[in-house]
Amino acid sequence: MGDASLKIFTAKRIITMNPALPFAEAIAVQGDRILGLGTIEDLAQWGDYEVDDQFKDHILLPGFVEAHTHVMTGGVWEFPYVGFYDRVDPTGRTWSGCRDLSSVVERLQECERDLEDPQQPLIAWGLDPIFLQGERLVAKHLDQVSEKRPIFVYHASGHLATINSEMMRRSDIDRHTPTPGVARDTDGEPNGELQEPAAMFLAQGGFAALGAAIMSPNAKWNYAREARNCGVTTVTDLGTTRLAMEGQLEAWRDATDDPNYPARVVVAVGHGDFGGQQTESNDMALLAVRLRDEEQTSKLRFGIVKLVLDGSIQGFTARVSWPHYVNPPAGHPGNGLWLIPPEQMAEIVSSYHAAGLTVHCHCNGDEAAQVFIDAVEEALEKHPRWDHRHTVQHCQLTTTAQYKKMAALGMNANIFSNHIFHWGDQHASVTVGEERAARMDACATAEREGVRFAVHSDAPITPMGQLHTAWCAVNRLTASGRVLGPEERISVSTALQACTLDAAHQLKLDHDIGSLEAGKLADFAVLESDPYEVSPEQLKDISVWGTVLGGVPQPADSQ
Amino acid sequence: MDPSAAVMEVSVIGGYLGAGKTTLVNHVLHNASERIAVLVNDFGDINIDQELIEASDDSTISLTNGCICCSLVDGFTSALESVLSLQPKPERLVIEASGVADPGAVAAYGHAPGLALDAIVVVADAARLREQVADPLVGQTVVSQLSAADVIVLNKVDLTDDVAAVLSELGRVNDDALVIETRYSEVNLDLLFGRTVSQVRAGASHIGEFESRTHKSDRPIPRDAFESLVMNLPEDIQRIKGIVRLTEAPQVPMVFQLVGRKWELRALADRSKSPEGNQLVAIGPKGSIPSGWDQVLHFNDETKASS
Repeated sequence: MGDASLKIFTAKRIITMNPALPFAEAIAVQGDRILGLGTIEDLAQWGDYEVDDQFKDHILLPGFVEAHTHVMTGGVWEFPYVGFYDRVDPTGRTWSGCRDLSSVVERLQECERDLEDPQQPLIAWGLDPIFLQGERLVAKHLDQVSEKRPIFVYHASGHLATINSEMMRRSDIDRHTPTPGVARDTDGEPNGELQEPAAMFLAQGGFAALGAAIMSPNAKWNYAREARNCGVTTVTDLGTTRLAMEGQLEAWRDATDDPNYPARVVVAVGHGDFGGQQTESNDMALLAVRLRDEEQTSKLRFGIVKLVLDGSIQGFTARVSWPHYVNPPAGHPGNGLWLIPPEQMAEIVSSYHAAGLTVHCHCNGDEAAQVFIDAVEEALEKHPRWDHRHTVQHCQLTTTAQYKKMAALGMNANIFSNHIFHWGDQHASVTVGEERAARMDACATAEREGVRFAVHSDAPITPMGQLHTAWCAVNRLTASGRVLGPEERISVSTALQACTLDAAHQLKLDHDIGSLEAGKLADFAVLESDPYEVSPEQLKDISVWGTVLGGVPQPADSQ
Repeated sequence: MDPSAAVMEVSVIGGYLGAGKTTLVNHVLHNASERIAVLVNDFGDINIDQELIEASDDSTISLTNGCICCSLVDGFTSALESVLSLQPKPERLVIEASGVADPGAVAAYGHAPGLALDAIVVVADAARLREQVADPLVGQTVVSQLSAADVIVLNKVDLTDDVAAVLSELGRVNDDALVIETRYSEVNLDLLFGRTVSQVRAGASHIGEFESRTHKSDRPIPRDAFESLVMNLPEDIQRIKGIVRLTEAPQVPMVFQLVGRKWELRALADRSKSPEGNQLVAIGPKGSIPSGWDQVLHFNDETKASS
């Protein structure tokens, strides 16, 4: 070829995820694609080249592929963070965790001083009262931050918000407000806590501002920056963007068409929204096909449809088969919620399946997974089709029998392994009990039964970071430090494959990304240490230099 | 008095897949005697005669009778905000919940500023209800929906041989709701939505197989006397709504609502437009409401007058 633009990156080691050539020391790139791997001598056959040795002390991997995250991950950083754990923002700044109520108030006081317009509401996010000892944060604490500026603090659960007295005043929230979810003190006065969306909706300029910000152009940029900072080159917005809405496709195009936009994004068409409202599946299928066939670019990909069938396990809203929940809260009806009528699933899945699309269905509980698996089987009977790659998303309580069936049907899994660390202790003690907690997020079972699987963070539900997510699958350590279900641990190499090639597979992009081999896109994760050299417990502590996206180095922001 | 002059009354229509919710929405749109805005899941299922359609675009259909039908394609809260900003303001908002939604959670939005929740209506399929309640996958969903209902529209009664058994199953799940038996979701809208005094003034007091009676008085009522009226109402009265003032706090107008055996008395959110005195409208089957049904309240007027 003899092209002068041929560039060869050298590295301490290149882990390719290509079994035919698992490791290499140099990788040749032309334009945005990989020309070949091997030694510099091997690659010299392609003609004149220029060596870039800036990664000579680094480890290169295929860029990580995160197949289940949401664009709000970038949007929440429009606002200050007041959560319990330390969290890194897209600029690389670490926000220290607010370990008690007074540090939440102090953080808000600092941010309040920075706001110039006195009318602008102060909005913050990430509050998690479960972890805070002592008194619960209510309006009177926020009044210490400001009595004049409305304040809205969104909780980590997404189900609650706490507001100050000024926000209550401006929103006409008083003792006569009949809305359920407006929490009250013993005298019947609202205490500032708003529970569930209908109550949060009352806070004028709070919930709505948050909603607008998380879908803003800046959110899309911060989303890709955060991905890049943790080595992710392809990220997925799984059904959050309402693509049927005017201007949404254009907003994604505007962001991703910019040559500096630092990630590829797979935007899935969402069937219905999170309020459980249904949309016409045939219309959505037409939209998804049109997007896939006419609107794809190198950095903006379509072809996936997202369904949400049940709720969450920690919220006791996942559909869990008998014996259901061990220790649900008082008044719980026994099992979780359906967000799509189960008897409609076969028809809905069939309409997307017949259109040649890949269906990713949120199923936290095993009862939900069964309904989805049965729907896929029925769709296959009606419309036999190879290689559909329909994927059970979250797949947290999926049983061995279900994995066997999934393998037989050609289905994939995307397993929410971060749950083991974040909520594993609660799953053992409160939600599903010891035995089922030990076999939840069953990566080893998926591997043994031949189901191709990815692992994910569901960011912003848990922080994005495929090394941490892989660490969860490899070690199964909970927040309290116990190993939950040692039999379901997987090897480092299987976990890395789940974060790269197999995640690309379920997005139908493994021809293009997910491993380093000739012809594929030149997307790398650039790591400071070798995942095969550190101990498995240290996997999450490996520093990320950044990425290479389509041959262009993208250093992480760090502060 | 007319609480809907100040705020839009909200009716939530829930019920499991296939019960007849969309048919009920169509029935409401065709028979509305007030300006109604409807939020629906799926435009495609809305079946409106062409001659009734004034204008339509991707997200709204305007009808010649003043009603408007809005899709939820841009999301629930955004649709709700559009309806709240409509001019002129509709008198009623009807929200169709999805087939698996908890209508109670949807109804919680019915107390947002500018809105007043009227009732949760749950449509049930008489022919399939018992089977659905017993279903291991959806039983809990169906029972939760029925439990949240103020009004249960027991639909498709022509498709079951044993209405009594279905009613008895409903009684086990929700003994307080007003149950209206129908076919093809054809419900009397006065019963479905209740009536206010101004609407009664505008129309006849006989409405199909039903009748309505009005109470008006000037003086505040002691809470005891009011509760005694409620406790001793003729059993056939199916719906009452109106505004009363209690002797204990006469400056606070109280909204009174009775649907089936459920009733509530709560402070009116927007007091700027509330009328003077007490005004109630009761609805029941023809001949079921004796003329002295509100005697206890007039007794109060007389004692005040003579003292």
